[in-house]
Amino acid sequence: MSTHPGPRARLAGGLLLWYAVLGGAIAWAVHLIAGWSVDELTCAGGSERVGALPLRTAIGLAVVLPALATVGALLAAALLWRRTARTPQGVEPERRVGRSRMLAVVGIWLNLLFLTIIVLGGVALIVLPPCQR
Amino acid sequence: MNARGGIAAATSTEALTTEQPVGRSAGWWGMVMFVATEATLFACLIGSYFYLRFQHGGPWPPDGLTAPTLARPLLMTAVLLPSSLPVVWAERGIRRGQRWRLRTGLAVTLVLGVTFLILVATEYAEKLREFTITTNAYGSLFYVITGFHGFHVLVGLTMISWLLVASLRRGTFGAHRHDRVRNAAIYWHFVDVVWAAILFTIYLSPRLS
Amino acid sequence: MSTTAASTPGASREDLARLEERWAERPSLRSWFSTVDHKRIGRRYLVTAALFFVLAGLSALAMRTQLARPESRLLSPQEYNQLFTMHGTAMIFLFATPMLFGFGNFLVPLMIGSRDMAFPKLNAFGYWVFLFAGLFMWASLPFGAAPNGGWFAYVPLTEERNTPGLHMDVYTLGLLFLGIATTAASINFIVTSLKLRAPGMSLNRVPLFVWAIVATAFMVIFALPALNVDNAMLFLDRRFGTHFFDPEHGGNVLLWQHLFWIFGHPDVYIIVMPALGIVSAVLPAFTRRGVVGYALVVFAMASIAIISFGVWVHHMFATGLPPLSYGFFSAASTIITIPSGIQIFAWLATMLLGRLVLKVPLLFVIGFIVTFVLGGFTGAMFALTAFDQQVTDSYFVVAHFHYVLIGGALFPILAAVYYWLPKITGRMYHEKLGRWAFWLFFTGMHLTFFPMHLYGLFGMPRRVYTYPDEPGWGGWNLVSTAGSYLLAIGLLLVLIGVIHAVRRGRPAPPDPWGGDSLEWSTDSPPKPYNFPVLPQVHSLHPTWDDASRTSMTEGATDDRILARGRQTLVTSELDGRRERTVEMPEASLQPLLLALALLVFFTALLFAWYPVAVGAALVVASTIAVWLWPPRRPDQELGVSA
Ligand code: HEM
Repeated sequence: MSTHPGPRARLAGGLLLWYAVLGGAIAWAVHLIAGWSVDELTCAGGSERVGALPLRTAIGLAVVLPALATVGALLAAALLWRRTARTPQGVEPERRVGRSRMLAVVGIWLNLLFLTIIVLGGVALIVLPPCQR
Repeated sequence: MNARGGIAAATSTEALTTEQPVGRSAGWWGMVMFVATEATLFACLIGSYFYLRFQHGGPWPPDGLTAPTLARPLLMTAVLLPSSLPVVWAERGIRRGQRWRLRTGLAVTLVLGVTFLILVATEYAEKLREFTITTNAYGSLFYVITGFHGFHVLVGLTMISWLLVASLRRGTFGAHRHDRVRNAAIYWHFVDVVWAAILFTIYLSPRLS
Repeated sequence: MSTTAASTPGASREDLARLEERWAERPSLRSWFSTVDHKRIGRRYLVTAALFFVLAGLSALAMRTQLARPESRLLSPQEYNQLFTMHGTAMIFLFATPMLFGFGNFLVPLMIGSRDMAFPKLNAFGYWVFLFAGLFMWASLPFGAAPNGGWFAYVPLTEERNTPGLHMDVYTLGLLFLGIATTAASINFIVTSLKLRAPGMSLNRVPLFVWAIVATAFMVIFALPALNVDNAMLFLDRRFGTHFFDPEHGGNVLLWQHLFWIFGHPDVYIIVMPALGIVSAVLPAFTRRGVVGYALVVFAMASIAIISFGVWVHHMFATGLPPLSYGFFSAASTIITIPSGIQIFAWLATMLLGRLVLKVPLLFVIGFIVTFVLGGFTGAMFALTAFDQQVTDSYFVVAHFHYVLIGGALFPILAAVYYWLPKITGRMYHEKLGRWAFWLFFTGMHLTFFPMHLYGLFGMPRRVYTYPDEPGWGGWNLVSTAGSYLLAIGLLLVLIGVIHAVRRGRPAPPDPWGGDSLEWSTDSPPKPYNFPVLPQVHSLHPTWDDASRTSMTEGATDDRILARGRQTLVTSELDGRRERTVEMPEASLQPLLLALALLVFFTALLFAWYPVAVGAALVVASTIAVWLWPPRRPDQELGVSA
C-alpha cells in the first residue's frame, strides 16, 4: 500500500500489533482468574447463582468472552502476517517488516495455543458440575 | 477521514509496522519495571486479603470487630489522589524549562502527602484501641497492607523532597534534563493508584454483601 | 572514517588508546571493590555461584553417605533436616539462577553489541547483595541454626511454635535479601536488551540466549513478589505474632502454599529457561547452522513464560479444590508441554540438518536432551491424579525433579562452562579431560537418580534421615550413593579442567568454534570496552555475515567508535534504530556500601536489634540519595528559562 497513514492511524496500527501478539495471553489470564474465583467463591458461599445468573452461565461467560477476544487477536495476527508478506526495499523498511513478520508468527502460535487452553476449560465446564468437591 | 478510510489506514503495512513503544530512556524503562514488580507485590497482598476473607466464611471483619467507617478514608483519598496533579503540572513545567513550576508543584505535593500520613496516624490511633496487628488475621491484614502502603508514601515523599532540594540548587534540572523528575512522578502516580485499590479492599469491600 | 591504522582496520590507534584510558580499570584493591565492568561482575557471579554449588553438593554427598545403608547413624535427624533444606534452597536460589545470571551478565552486552549493561552500578550492587545473602544463609549452618523446614517451608511446620529458633528466620530474611539482587538483575537485563542493542539489531535478530534471559527476567519480575510477600508474612507471624497462617485466629495455612507455588512453578522455568537459551546458543556453533525455527523457539519461550503462571495449583493435588476450578488449571498444565516439546524438536531438527562437531559442549547438550526428556516423561506421569497421589512425597518425586533440574540446568550450565571458557578466560580447555568429565558425570548422574524411581515406587518416603531394611531399599540406595560419588568425581574433573585451562591452557583465538553471535567478534578475553567499533547488525547471525563483520573493520564510522568518553549507543526498542549516545557511569564504591548497609539491616532483623536495623535503613536511604544526586550542569545545557 502506498498511502501514508497519519499519526492516529500509526498509533492504532502499533497497538493492533500488540493486540495481535499478546491478546490471547491476556484473554487467557482473565479467563483463568475470573473462572477460578467465581467458581471458588460462589461454591464456598453455598449457592449456585451469581446475582441473577446461574453459576454455570456466569462461568460460561468467563470462557466464551475471552475465547472471542482470542479469536480476534488471531485474526489480527493473520492480517499482520499477510501485510508483511512482501519485503520492501531499503534497509530500515526491511528491518521493520521483518521484525513485524516475526511477531506475527509468534502471535499466531500464541493465540492458537491460548485458544486451545480456553476451549479445554470450556470442555471442563460442560463435563464437570461446578460445585462438586 | 471516514471510519472505513481510518481502518484501512490503521491496518496498512506502514501503520501495523509502526515502532511502538519507542524512544523511551533506559531510566524510564527501569522505573516502569520496578513499578510493575511492586504492583505485583501489592496484588499479592490484596489477593491474600480476599483469600483469607473468603476462606474464613462467617462475618467479616471477624470476632465482632466493626466494619471500618468511611469518613476518614474518604478524606485521605481526597488528599492523596489529587496530589498527582501538581506533580504532572511540575513535570510539564520543567519540560519547558520553568523551574518555578517544578518547585511549586513539588512543594504542594509534599504538603498533601504529609497530610495523608498524618491522617494515617490518626486512623491508627483510633483503630489501635479496637484491635492490633496481633488480634487476628484481619488485624494483621489491615495493618500490614495499610502500613506497607504508608511506607511507600513515605518513600515517595522522600523522593519528592529530594527532588525539591535538588531543584533549589541551580544547574540540576531543565528542559533537557528531567529524567529524575519523571521517574519520581511515575512512582508517585503508582502510589496513588495503589491507594485506590486499598481503599476498595480494606474500606469498601467489607460493606459489600 | 578512521580506517588508517593498518594493524586494526576500524578504530585508529589513537581511538584505541583513548578507549583504553576511558574503560580500563587499573588493578588495585580499590578497583576490585568498585568495579562496574559487566565482565568482571559476571565472572564473580559465576565463581560465587559455583562456590555455593560446591557447598550444596557436599551437603548432598553427606546425605547420600548417610543413606548408603539402612539404620545408619552418621547424621542426626536435626542435622539431616538442615542439610536437605540447605541443599535444596541453595541449589535453587543460590546456585541455579545466579549461575545463569552470571552467564547473562557476561554475555548479554557482548551478544547485543554494547559496552556494558544499562545500569552498571546497579549490576555491581546486585552482585554484592547476592554474595552477602548467600553468606548470610550459609553462615547459619555451622551454628546449627540453618533452615530446616524443607526448601518450600510449609506452614504450620515452620511456624514459631513448631520450629522455634532462628532456623526459619534465616530462611525468610535470607530469601528476602536475595530477592533484591534477583529483581535488580532482572530489571537490568530487560532494560539492557531493550535499549542497548547494537544498531540494526531488530527484534528478529536478537540471539535466542538473550530472548531466554529476557523471558526469565520477566518471570522474575512477576513471580518473585509472591515469594517475598509469603516470606514477609511468615517472618511477621513468627516474630511479631501476626496470624496470616494461623487457622485459630482467622488465618489459613493454604495461603502459604498458594503464594509459594505462584512463585514456585514459574521458578522451575526461571531456572530452566536460560539454560535452554544456552542450548540454543551452543548448537549453531557445533552444527554449523542456525537453530531451526527461530520464531517458533521465541514463541515457545514466550508462551512458557506466560503459562507457567497458570499452573501452580497442580502442586496442590491434596488440597481439595472444586474439580471444575482444577480443570482450568489442568488445561494449562497439559498444554505447557507443547512449547517445551517444540523447542526439543527444533534442536533435534537442527542437529539432523546440520553437520555435528562432537566437542565437549555438544556432549553436554546431548546429555541434557536425554536427561531432560526422561524427566519430562516422569513429569507427564504425574498428570494422572491417581498415580500422583501414590508417589507424592516419595523418592520418585526426588528422582523426577533431579532429572528435570540436573538435566535442565546443570548439563546446560556445564556445556556453557566449556563453550564460553575461551571467551571468559582467553584460554582453551583440555578436550580429553573434558570428555572424561562428561562421561563420569553422565554415568554418575543416572546411577544416582534412576534407582530413586524404583525405591520411590517401592514406597520409600523422601526427607527421612534413615530407613529400615525393607526389601529392595538397601541395595538400590547403595547404588545411588556410589553413583553420587562417581558424579562428584566427574564434577571435580570439570573443576580441574577449568583450573588447568586458566593456568596452562593454550591461548584462545577470538572465535575458536566459529560461533554466530557477536561475542565471537571480540577478543578473548574481551577488551574492557568490549568492541573497539560497535557493530552495525545486518542479520540474525552477525559473526557469520560479511556486512555485519565489515561494519566493525573497513566500514567503521566515528559514531560507532565513540572514543571521546565512556560511551555506548542507545537504540530503539523494537527495530534497533540508532537514537543517541549515552555516557556510562564510572567505577564506584557506592554499590558495595549499599549492599553492606543492607547486610547490617537484615542481620539486625535476624537478631532483633531493631535500633540497629533502623540505623542501617537510614544509611541505605542516604546512600541511594547520594547515588542518584544529579550532576551539576550549565544552564544552557539544561535548557532553563526561569
Ligand atoms: C549434584 C548432585 C546432587 C545430588 C547427589 C543430590 C542429592 C539430593 C538428595 C540426597 C536430596 C534429599 C532427598 C531427601 O532426603 O528427601 C536432594 C534434595 C533436593 N535437591 Fe538435590 N542433589 C544434587 C543436585 C541438585 C541440583 C543441581 C538441584 C537444583 C538445581 C537440586 C535440588 C534439590 C532440591 C530442591 C531438593 C529438595 C530439598 C527438600 O526436600 O526440601 N539437587 N538432593
